[in-house]
Amino acid sequence: MTSNATLGIHRLEVRDFRNLEAQVVELGPRFNVLAGENGQGKTNLLEALYVATTTRSFRTSTLGDCVRHDAASAFARIRVLDDRQPGVARIQSVELDGQGAGRRKVQLDGKRPPTLAEYALATPIVLFEPASLALSQGGAADRRRLLDRVAIHLAARHGGGAELLVDLERYRRAHGHRKKALERAMDARVLDPYERLMAEHGVRIVRARREAAEALAGRVVAGFEAIATAPLRLEIAYAPKAPEDVDAFSALLAERRELDARRGSATRGPHLDDLAFLLGGRPARQVASQGQHRALVLALKGAELAAIAEAREVEPILLLDDVSSELDPRRNAALFAFLHAQVGQVVLTTTRPELIEIAGDRRDFDVVAGLVRPR
Amino acid sequence: MLPRHARIVARLLERLPGVGERTATRYVLHLLAEDPALSQALGDALRELHARVRGCARCGNLAEVVPGLEASPICEICADGRRDASVLCVVARVQDLAAIERSGAMRGRYFVLGRLVSPLEGVGPEDLPLERLRARIAEDGVKEVIIATPPSVDGEATSLFLARELAALGLSISRIASGVPHGSELEYADQVTLGRAIAGRKSLG
Ligand SMILES: [Zn+2]
Repeated sequence: MTSNATLGIHRLEVRDFRNLEAQVVELGPRFNVLAGENGQGKTNLLEALYVATTTRSFRTSTLGDCVRHDAASAFARIRVLDDRQPGVARIQSVELDGQGAGRRKVQLDGKRPPTLAEYALATPIVLFEPASLALSQGGAADRRRLLDRVAIHLAARHGGGAELLVDLERYRRAHGHRKKALERAMDARVLDPYERLMAEHGVRIVRARREAAEALAGRVVAGFEAIATAPLRLEIAYAPKAPEDVDAFSALLAERRELDARRGSATRGPHLDDLAFLLGGRPARQVASQGQHRALVLALKGAELAAIAEAREVEPILLLDDVSSELDPRRNAALFAFLHAQVGQVVLTTTRPELIEIAGDRRDFDVVAGLVRPR
Repeated sequence: MLPRHARIVARLLERLPGVGERTATRYVLHLLAEDPALSQALGDALRELHARVRGCARCGNLAEVVPGLEASPICEICADGRRDASVLCVVARVQDLAAIERSGAMRGRYFVLGRLVSPLEGVGPEDLPLERLRARIAEDGVKEVIIATPPSVDGEATSLFLARELAALGLSISRIASGVPHGSELEYADQVTLGRAIAGRKSLG
């Protein structure tokens, strides 16, 4: 195991967050099992934890959706114990406005943080939900987000997490401007500056993603080999879709204007990057069985946790939604082996708590009609 | 609930930045509690505002309109002979000009673009006052242009665009240093930061 510090959400206070009653939930430092029928609020509780740590939701981009329908705002506050700062609990809170676009008010230790990035990087957290299964079989966007999550924590090691978020946001905006400029047949005088900006931010994104892919690759392969029984070799390759040089990248964009105008979007650039998985030399998407896809996703999540743990010198909190859908006896073993390998705090939901084979430091909760009660 | 006319005044006040319903109501109640002369003076001053203050014909800064010269008002900075006419600082908005002035780091004069290039918002080069800028540079014998557009994507793109447009004039062109925090408006940058950003400007060739 590692000698990393541990991190844990010790207490959650929620109000008007979806169906959750106003309440305080005290979590244990290791395994927390939230049991309940569907629709009672288990995932809402995970979402509240996720919003309180990251200021974002994994279920909606419209944060106003998280506000109970008859309330003006939703609120979630966490008290975080972090070995890296012994003695003082960190207080993080997010208040979401129910009106309009759903504005958020965030506070870190009672003050407005200088940037949202600073807030979102304070308490590293990893989410594993049924939708994560798309990581191996679905579109490249999910894999780019995985790379970016890891890259941001790697950059945060040297205090650069916020800058990388700025690069991602600015690349997106410059790309949008260029797309519009091509659509409106604007000339090189306008296109040049945006292509330059795409290249400057894009090259930094590619560099950061390459580093993230390197941090993940070895761990994913080892994790996969430990789970999957097939003798096929797994290979992982980061496939950037842009040159890693500013001048070369902006020259390439300039060359492709006509083509990009016809396609309606830039045909080169990190917005098209992918992380490719090869199984026995062939694309996993084509040749992997369902069991192998599942093993790959478990290995990816394990690698994400380990890479972030190494970068931040703390074990991230793991949120695991709806593991009961995974409860197929033949596949359980891998999932529980994965869970047992976690040394940090874990919060998981299930409809069948009796099937969760975790002994030791475990706290059980029942979730009924928006209320979370220790069992 | 306010009476009808008080409500009308409150609604108008609410259209000002940073004024919500509660603040607007507080202002109206305050005005009603004060000497009626205050409301009178405020009304008179507001009525004259647009006629008495207009964009400077040379730089776009706000200028006091002098009777008889209504067509081309000149702002205090353009009229100040102690300013170095050879240095011109290009900004996006009057608010940015004010912020740089407060820093005290700018000894030259200004040019307010009024907007930034932004294809997403349908703003192209033809929407920028390029001809006026070139004329200004020629008339004043400007030798150095400092581009102080905000450090946003639109501000950076406009800066690159302007540097290219002005390249043929043989001037020294520079961009303020990125000491101004990313994504923040110049308006909110503190004076020390802005002063350093101007002192540490980088040449755009
Ligand atoms: Zn003027």
